[in-house]
Amino acid sequence: MTYKQQDPVVQAAADWWVRLREADAGGEVIEQWLEWAGQDERHLETFERLNELAERLGGLDQVSRQGLIRAFARPAPPQRRWFPLAAAASIAAVMLSGALYVGWTHFAVVVTPQVVYQSGVGQNREFSLPDGTKVALGAASRLSVKYSNDQRSVEITDGEAYFNVVHDDRRPFVVTIGNMTVRDIGTAFDVRRTGERVTVAVTQGRVAISSRRLQVRPHSTLEATAGQRVTYDSDKSNFVVDIVTPAQATAWRQNRLEFIDEPLSVVVANLDRYASKPVHVADADLNALSYTGTIRTDAIDSWVDALPEVFPLRVSKQANGIVLSDARHATR
Amino acid sequence: MSAVTLSVHVADIEKLFREHNRALIAFLQCRLNSFSDAQEVAQEAYLRMLTMDNREEVDSLRGYLFKVAGNLAIDRLRKRKVRSDFAVVQSQDEPVDEHRPDHHAMAVEQVAGVRQALRELPAKTSQAFVMHVIEGRDFSHVAQTMKLSERMVRYHVANALAHCRAYVDEKEGA
Repeated sequence: MTYKQQDPVVQAAADWWVRLREADAGGEVIEQWLEWAGQDERHLETFERLNELAERLGGLDQVSRQGLIRAFARPAPPQRRWFPLAAAASIAAVMLSGALYVGWTHFAVVVTPQVVYQSGVGQNREFSLPDGTKVALGAASRLSVKYSNDQRSVEITDGEAYFNVVHDDRRPFVVTIGNMTVRDIGTAFDVRRTGERVTVAVTQGRVAISSRRLQVRPHSTLEATAGQRVTYDSDKSNFVVDIVTPAQATAWRQNRLEFIDEPLSVVVANLDRYASKPVHVADADLNALSYTGTIRTDAIDSWVDALPEVFPLRVSKQANGIVLSDARHATR
Repeated sequence: MSAVTLSVHVADIEKLFREHNRALIAFLQCRLNSFSDAQEVAQEAYLRMLTMDNREEVDSLRGYLFKVAGNLAIDRLRKRKVRSDFAVVQSQDEPVDEHRPDHHAMAVEQVAGVRQALRELPAKTSQAFVMHVIEGRDFSHVAQTMKLSERMVRYHVANALAHCRAYVDEKEGA
């Protein structure tokens, strides 16, 4: 492996670095180190460069830091794909509860009329549903709510919402987003819909997530718990599970949009729910770029202006909005 | 001390500073993981040296300087820990300063390089490194979590650090 054939000075400097870092490294160790440092100009210089790298890495922003910790410092790789096969156990559970369920629904069903909640561009809204469940609705989002005596159904047709659900075993709270459903099991969670891509971030308790599209293998259900984020993209037809903190999942409620490793198209679509001038991606290949970071909804313009420093793209301001185009293409 | 011995002492300390300041800062930065904190602590260490009243008991001024500085660094780490425990409670309200992509770009680029470098290493080596350097866990904590001796943890961290440095140098040089 390449790492074994290290420059001996770099290796020696790194060995000294870990020895000196110990608070109980005594005077003798320090004396030996000083001697080594004095032997050759390169020695101290290399040591300093290790300090510099370690300081940079120790002071990373939260998102990068968390990404690296997630990727390397946790024994089981958490970024894993979830396939329906893995759900064998929960399939049985779902079918059983389905059977019991028929018993309940046998009685007359009382349905209250459907209520639609909607928010404008740049406006978050908060309200409570009849059962006391609290909802925070993101900007440019649309939610329709239909309560019957056996089920509380909520459908998200656009945008994002955060639910703090009053749990009721006899009247499940179910959120539908396209082909996907999220059922509460004592929970607070955030759901975001960006076209065909849905993310569910659980901040408390558990949810059961299933997708009709995945039911080629029937009744695939995934349980996600607090601190997990599940992304479902109907193009790829699988769930991806990773980690998210409650603060990250609901940052939008404090006017910050947080993205962890998401395609530029998704970032822009969500940004547009808050932007006074819509941003449009002109070249499809830009959508392959992935972005991690925070965008303040009151500083969208400056974020857009700085984009060319990060990505190979060009920003042009036009009357009806902002256009992002591929800088590698010839002038258009 | 009389005026004459005092001025001799000051001259000694000045000489110490000229000859060893760079190594002292490097030593302190290693301990504190912060160049600016290292400079501050070094300053304080020289002040302590100037006002020391046990000169006769000290054989090596240089050894004494590093000892004083090392102790000051330990104090500072302790204070920092108290502050960060407090900050955890407060962090919900803290403004986030990473909203500009250019600020973020630097981080992303660094992280991409380091991520690549870490992938080339055995899992244990990169795990120990990330836990210690990025997550800020001390060697004993990492050793406990990974069920390794502290010596092995230091070995892994040193290997990963050397590898990442070489990797980043190669990339930046290219």
